[in-house]
Parts: sequence; C-alpha cells; structure tokens
Amino acid sequence: MLLAGGGALALGARGADHRGEPSRRDGVSAELPQAATPALRIGTPRPLRDGPGLSRWAPLRHGVAARARPAAGARVVARLRRLTPEGTSHPLPILGRAVDARGRAWLRVSLPVLPNGTRGWIPRRSVGAYELERSRVVVDLDALTLTLRRRGRVVFTSRVGVGQDRWPTPRGRFIVRNRLHGYDSSMYGPVAFGTSARSPRLTDWPAGGFVGIHGTDRPDLLPGRVSHGCIRLRNRDIRRLARLMPVGTPVIVR
Amino acid sequence: MSRINIDQFDVDGAVAEARGQLSRAELLTAGLGAIAGALALAQPAAAARLSATDRAVLNYALSLEYLQAAFYTEAERSKAITGKAGKAARTVGAVERAHVAAFLDLLGTDAVKRPRFDFKGVTEDRDAFLKTAVAFEDLAVAAYKDQAIRIESPAVVSAALGIHTVEARHAAWMRYLNGIKPANAAFDEPDSKRKVLALVEDTGFIASAPRTTAARKPGFSG
Repeated sequence: MLLAGGGALALGARGADHRGEPSRRDGVSAELPQAATPALRIGTPRPLRDGPGLSRWAPLRHGVAARARPAAGARVVARLRRLTPEGTSHPLPILGRAVDARGRAWLRVSLPVLPNGTRGWIPRRSVGAYELERSRVVVDLDALTLTLRRRGRVVFTSRVGVGQDRWPTPRGRFIVRNRLHGYDSSMYGPVAFGTSARSPRLTDWPAGGFVGIHGTDRPDLLPGRVSHGCIRLRNRDIRRLARLMPVGTPVIVR
Repeated sequence: MSRINIDQFDVDGAVAEARGQLSRAELLTAGLGAIAGALALAQPAAAARLSATDRAVLNYALSLEYLQAAFYTEAERSKAITGKAGKAARTVGAVERAHVAAFLDLLGTDAVKRPRFDFKGVTEDRDAFLKTAVAFEDLAVAAYKDQAIRIESPAVVSAALGIHTVEARHAAWMRYLNGIKPANAAFDEPDSKRKVLALVEDTGFIASAPRTTAARKPGFSG
C-alpha cells in the first residue's frame, strides 16, 4: 500500500496525464509549509523507581477499631479517634495491605498505643489519601543526637536532650503526627512536634503521655538525659528543624 | 527569570524522577553538562513567549496529566493491580509522568500547582481501576480535542496533537482490557472544559490537605 501510494504521489508530481492535460493530482504536489517543531520536549517514559526510604501514611477519615487480623470479626487491638489530642488529623503509618474473604481491602498500620510497637489492621476505607514521605529522623539515645535524612542524605543534625533514666524516651519506630506553634509556653520552646511514641511510665499524663520533639527554656541542660521522655532541642535548632521536617516523617529512636 | 521548584508541584516525587532521568539522558546524549544547563535556563523564556491563551490551555492539559499520572502511579505503588492491567498501569503511568515533566519544563513558574488526590481505594481494585482508567483516558482525548482549536501557537498545536493521539491509544488499550470495543465510533465528540472539570469534580478524587498543624499548647510529656 505504501508503495502504491508512493507511486500515486510520483504520478501526481508530474502534473499532467498522458494526454498532456493538467492532472487532478496537481494538489498533491503543491508545496506545504513545514510542520512546527512541538513546543513540548517529551522525555522517554521511565519506570517508577522509588528506591529505599519511601514511607506511606494516611490520615484517618473517622474513628475506627484496629483489629488483630484483616477481618471484620477479629479481636480489637485498639480504638482510634479521628483526631489527635491536639485536634489535628490522625496520621497512621501504612505497613501493609490485605484483602479479606469478602474482597474488602485492609491496611496494616502502626498504632499510637502502649505497648509501643503495637500494630493492627484497619479497613482501607477508614483512611484518606495516601501521603508519601522521603524523610526520616533518627534519634540516638546513646549519642544524644537527632539526625534528619531526606532521600538518604543528612539535611539536619543536632545534639538533644532525652528522657531521664526514670522516664526514658521509648525506643522504636514512630511517626511525626503534628506540628504545634503559636502557644505561650517557654518550656516547649517556639515549635513542638507530636509523635506517636508514648511514655510507658507517664501513662496518666493528661494528653496520654505522648513524646514530643520541641524546644526548651533550659538550653544549658543540653545535651543530656534531662526530660520526661520528650526530645528537646535548642530553640534555634527546633526552628530550623521545623522548616525541614514534614508531618508524617518516620521517627526511629534507637 | 526563575527556575521552577519541582517539589511544589510534585508532591510524591514521581515526576521529579522522570524529569531527572530526562536531564541525565540529555547529558549522556550531549556529553556536555553546559548544554543541559542552558536548556534548563531556556525553558522559562519559552514559557514567557506563550500567549495567555496557550498558557491557559497548557495548564488545563497539565491538570489532566497530573490526575492521570497520580492515578497510575498510585496503582503501581499499591501493587494490587496485577497481570495485563498492572502492566498497562506501569506503562501508561510512565508516559503520563513524562507528559507532566514536559509541561512543567515548558511552563516553568507559570505551571499550576498539582492538586492533592484521594483515589479512595480505586487504584487497589482491578475492576474499579479499569473502569476509572477508561473514563480518564476518554476524558483526556475529548478534552485535548476541544482545546486544540483554541491554541494559537503552531508549536503548541503540534505538541498537543502528539499527546492527543497517545491518549487515544491509552483509551483504546484500557477499553480493550475492560472488555469495551476500543474503537466503535466513526467520529469522536469533544468535551468542553466545563464538562470535563465537572466530571473530575464529581469523582471526589480532588482532596483537601489533612490538618497537620495547630496553634495550641502541647500536652506532651515534656
């Protein structure tokens, strides 16, 4: 077909038939303007390569019971509220996914309950949009340091204060749940992050004994084992961290 | 002249990946870092030459590309869509991300911000995924067709037509996978911007950001 078409074009280009009369194909031979170069330069499609260090979380849409297995009748591990005690969305780290016998999707999540490290299953429909995070913060209780990495690169590091021996900062994997500011309390410094870590000793604390990452009015005590379990930074450091660390960042305390 | 901040537009980083790989490919092809730098700096100038109408059309198209790229990328990340549908999601997702990256390069700081999407589990269920994919691809084809006649620059028309036919192939592929005849009409109707945006809004996939900050005193253990 292409060859035939090419032949037809070639005949048309001669501009006359065998009797010397103008051909109807004259229009084919007419000069046409060059096509415009596309304004967009589309790159070669590449496969998705997330690489290591990508974590997912999602905010709760409504209160829900977390269960021991991905099934509606499984034992309830914890009951979760839609909002945190601070009134912000309740983010849950997503660890896995399963489908039950009825075809309903479930998500395995890390729970903000004692004992720290408790995990459970919640219906997929109980959370909103997946959020992705490429940062993670590591708190080293021995070195008394906090290090924030993004895409594997260190973007922030600071010496910190951590829990005293009688109120230790819990070890484990947690998540930054919210960021608080604009309050009048020099004890917490200018900015405070809430985490999903909970003090195993201060269980009667009004808001539940959640561990925060915040500033301080006693910078002279840092670094050291000085707090009730929270992670304290100098105020200039917490201000800088606040510009770098998004809510949803995984927190590893070791 | 200001360079675009990709993080502002690409909250999940997938487009940055596509964009970065394009730059590396350019570097490999050209063998000169300076050329890649010069090209990057030249993009905002190209955006400045666009007419207001063309910028509006391109931003509208970019909005639809954001939607499609986010949809297929989330489906791929969920690992719940397997088989032929999973392969289609991976392939089409890579193309849509390449489209987004190209639009961002051309529009520079004039690019609209990427909305936040909540696909409500549709990206994790094969049947729901395919039905939605067909709807999105048909919508994109109809939207490009509607806008093509409004574009003023021949270079932008050329680019739009190049993408329009790709979207039509995607539509045919998704229709085939969903058991719908890929091409049974002799003529395709355009869809107006108003109609397209209303349909997208009706899906409920455009989400607001979760509230993550508060101006209140902490109650942490201290």
